[in-house]
Amino acid sequence: MTPLENEITAVKKELINMWILVQSQLNNAKKAMVTFDKDLAREVLVKEKRVNSFELKVDRDCENIFALHCPVAIDLRFLLAALKINTNLERIGDIAASIAKYVIDSAVNFDKAAMESTSMLRMYDEAVNILTDTRTAFEMEDTVLARSIFKRDDVLDVINDNASNSVAEVIKANISSITEALYILSIIRKLERVGDQSKNIAEEIIFYVEAKILKHYASSQPGPVDEE
Amino acid sequence: MEAKIGFRNTKSVIFKGIVVFFAFVITLPLIIVLIYIIKQGITQVNWHFLTNVPAPVGEKGGGILNALWGSFLMVMVAAVVAIPVGMMAGIYLSENPRTKLAYYSGLCVDILQGVPSIVVGIVVYFWIVKPLGTFSALSGSLALAIMMLPIVIRSTEQTLKLLPDSLKEAALSLGVPYHRVILKVIVPCGFAGILSGITLSIARVIGETAPLLFTAFGNPYLSSSLTKPMESLPHLIFTYATSPYDDWHNLAWGASFILLMFVLILNIVTKVITRKWKIQL
Amino acid sequence: MENTIVKAENYNSYFGDNHVVKDVNISINKNEVIAVMGPSGCGKTTFLRGINRMHELIPNATSKGKILLDGENVYDMNAIYVRAKIGMVFQRPNPFPNLSIYENVIAGYLLNGIKVSKADKDIIVERSLTSAALWKEVKDSLHKKGTFLSGGQQQRLCIARAIAMQPELILFDEPTSALDPISTSSVEQLFHELKANYTLIIVTHNMQQAARVSDRTAFFYMGELVEFDDTKQMFTAPADQRTQNYITGRFS
Repeated sequence: MTPLENEITAVKKELINMWILVQSQLNNAKKAMVTFDKDLAREVLVKEKRVNSFELKVDRDCENIFALHCPVAIDLRFLLAALKINTNLERIGDIAASIAKYVIDSAVNFDKAAMESTSMLRMYDEAVNILTDTRTAFEMEDTVLARSIFKRDDVLDVINDNASNSVAEVIKANISSITEALYILSIIRKLERVGDQSKNIAEEIIFYVEAKILKHYASSQPGPVDEE
Repeated sequence: MEAKIGFRNTKSVIFKGIVVFFAFVITLPLIIVLIYIIKQGITQVNWHFLTNVPAPVGEKGGGILNALWGSFLMVMVAAVVAIPVGMMAGIYLSENPRTKLAYYSGLCVDILQGVPSIVVGIVVYFWIVKPLGTFSALSGSLALAIMMLPIVIRSTEQTLKLLPDSLKEAALSLGVPYHRVILKVIVPCGFAGILSGITLSIARVIGETAPLLFTAFGNPYLSSSLTKPMESLPHLIFTYATSPYDDWHNLAWGASFILLMFVLILNIVTKVITRKWKIQL
Repeated sequence: MENTIVKAENYNSYFGDNHVVKDVNISINKNEVIAVMGPSGCGKTTFLRGINRMHELIPNATSKGKILLDGENVYDMNAIYVRAKIGMVFQRPNPFPNLSIYENVIAGYLLNGIKVSKADKDIIVERSLTSAALWKEVKDSLHKKGTFLSGGQQQRLCIARAIAMQPELILFDEPTSALDPISTSSVEQLFHELKANYTLIIVTHNMQQAARVSDRTAFFYMGELVEFDDTKQMFTAPADQRTQNYITGRFS
């Protein structure tokens, strides 16, 4: 393996480690929310610093490779994708941390029935699955799996579109639960952004593997803009 | 270990000393010869010496004009024959090193270089002197030319071989035809080397006696005719040095001095040409 | 196509029995800079030398197929005429050491015995040296021999010499391999300027150079023309896996 190959593999490994960390952050935030475990939530906030330092490291490693190796073709595309995936993962990490913060700030635990009627739990599960699958697609360079992400993000979008109504119902049913209900609304909005970030990651994976650009194309129709 | 190093150093110094000593030893014969000839000959050389033919036996005075002029003429004619032929052959050998013709003709050139000069003279005697029925300057020139050829050929070949291929390529890529590439690029770039080869070959043959013995033969009078016998410096030295007359011995010393000076000057000129005119590649 | 200046059709090159260039088909347009790259021994230099018929000067070298220059097959034309019509610059700068700078530039005319008036000669020399970005540096020493010039300057002198013959096409055989980075830079700058008036084909070992200077790049591998495409495309998303392996340095 050439030095360049070694460095690119190292960047891949870094990203995957960051991915695993962000996944566990998201999972822990969910667990903390469901079981109302403030200690777990604090742990998530502390680990957020690690997510940030991962981001800095990946940025720096990519910068070094550009400076020293003049990468071209697939190596170049991979590094450009890695930089963007890096940013997306860091934002997902931020979202997990802010959900954990809600748990810490909230005086009362969130009502399970409310979480279900708004489909927030279902949304959370799907967001976590989508993130897991994008990681698999990245590791396996599986662009078919990456393409499937687009449709699944639609599910999250639907729940998000309904959120105003479903949360309004919860508030109407019990006015004193308004604080938690607003938290739930915020969390739904944030989960929708997790879905978008994952979709961006999927686009980057397809870009670097196939040299096809799918950005800014209408919803779930991945019409390719080839690099030709 | 240190004792060994000391011993080795001593051996090194001794070896160096021996090498330097022998270098000196080699210069001795040359110096001795030079000093002796200069001493004996320089007193003979004056304007009268250079502009008159030898006096008859018994008379004082005389000079070496016939030999001077004869040597000059014969070497010039030899050069006119040997230089073009030699250069062309040298060019062929350097351009086509791998052909059969190159191999065999190269072999012949090397053999020719080793042929004794007197044998060359005998061969020319049978080729030219006998059929023409007379000794002649022309036959002498031819014998000298045959002796010049190997030197001219080999030095031309070596000089041109040292020129980088990139020179030829540059000219060819400009659409220059082959003969012009050789004549206008390769030969001019190798000019210093070729010229030094030519002057060396002249220096070599100017002092050759044996080939002239049965060809030019010798002539006590000043002559410019190529079809008649002609005197030459080395031949004059030979004849007069082995004669019983003191006057003639003096002439021989003077002629030796002149010949020596010629050869010395030619060699120095060769060195100067090579350094000054060598094209920096 | 009207704009095509060089076209190879089923061109093959051999050294004896060794099939060095295999069935190359390529079409090059006017005023393009084409880079030809590939690993050692892939046939790129042999192909280049086939264009101006320098290849056949090597003993046992033969070729088959056509190379069309402005529509005419160079192998049907007089070889010397072809070489005069196409300029070539070599890897090691090779100005004629026995000629002055002035004479070097017009060497193509001098050595061919082409009569040119002194005034015209002066014009040609100035024009060629200016195009080669060398005029200012040598205009006061035109009658000196070129040996005091640096490597980069000598190479630009060779370029001026090629330009003086007014070729349409100039071939470069690894022109900066023997030069230091600054000289290399100045020669590469020259390529951008020459493009306006000439078509350039540059064989190079240096991929980065190919990427920097050319409009289109040809990738040769083991005698075959593997890929020929826009340089930008070649270096961001090459079509052939072999090309990708080469440019990312994956060859073992």
